[in-house]
Amino acid sequence: MQVTTMSFTVEPCSQETVIVRIGKALDFRNAAEFKSTCQTQVRSGARNFILDFSETGILDSTGLGSIFSLYRQVSPLEGQVVFAAVSRPVQVVVQLTRTYKVFRQFPSVEAAEEALQ
Amino acid sequence: MESVKQRFTDLESVIDGVHSLFDQLPPGELHPALDETAILQAKLAVHEWTANLVQHADFEGRIPVVVVDVWTESDQIRCTVEDNSKGFDLEGQLVEKRNGLPSVPERGMGLLMLQACTSELIYEKTGEGLCRLRFVVNAGQDPCLNIPFS
Repeated sequence: MQVTTMSFTVEPCSQETVIVRIGKALDFRNAAEFKSTCQTQVRSGARNFILDFSETGILDSTGLGSIFSLYRQVSPLEGQVVFAAVSRPVQVVVQLTRTYKVFRQFPSVEAAEEALQ
Repeated sequence: MESVKQRFTDLESVIDGVHSLFDQLPPGELHPALDETAILQAKLAVHEWTANLVQHADFEGRIPVVVVDVWTESDQIRCTVEDNSKGFDLEGQLVEKRNGLPSVPERGMGLLMLQACTSELIYEKTGEGLCRLRFVVNAGQDPCLNIPFS
């Protein structure tokens, strides 16, 4: 079942994999909502998260911190967090922080889905 | 190039306002080396600073005033952000955060990201008692914030 919060849409992809459509921004204004949304998904059995950044114009340090929080949650469960359709503003943050070392990137959500199957 | 400048008194709208401000930079008047990456790095730097103001600044009961000014000189983007908050020890915070950044940190990266993607970063009091941050973003840079991942 698709879940929509104020900022994010979560779509199940398989039993353990969900797609989170980030929308326009993931920053200090909605990072707590992102964490809460993802925690709910982890409690429901999700282990792999595909973050769709195709529409995202803002990713800031607090938003990135909330993604690191998710990574810390799912890593011990052998889960993954991957980035899909990374927009230029998000790519600037990824490059600045070298987070491509921990989050695999895919050109599209479909490519990420295929890789996580 | 003439600067693009905006005064904010509503902290609720300052972040979106900052992003809109950068959209006003006239593409036809920019140095060819100032590509989208340089503009996005400058935008990120101003975002991190204003986010810090929104979340942590002490305006001591005054109506907040934040003035953002952005302009280019050759292949550099120059920014100033003035505000009427009490201010804080930026250098001390940077040292503390740099030395205390844990592996895969969930917080404490904002000021370090600002520092990483700028040069000539100066935080000072103005003659009018305001706080002023000024910095430069140079075109063609590949800045790096060394986050420990293990």
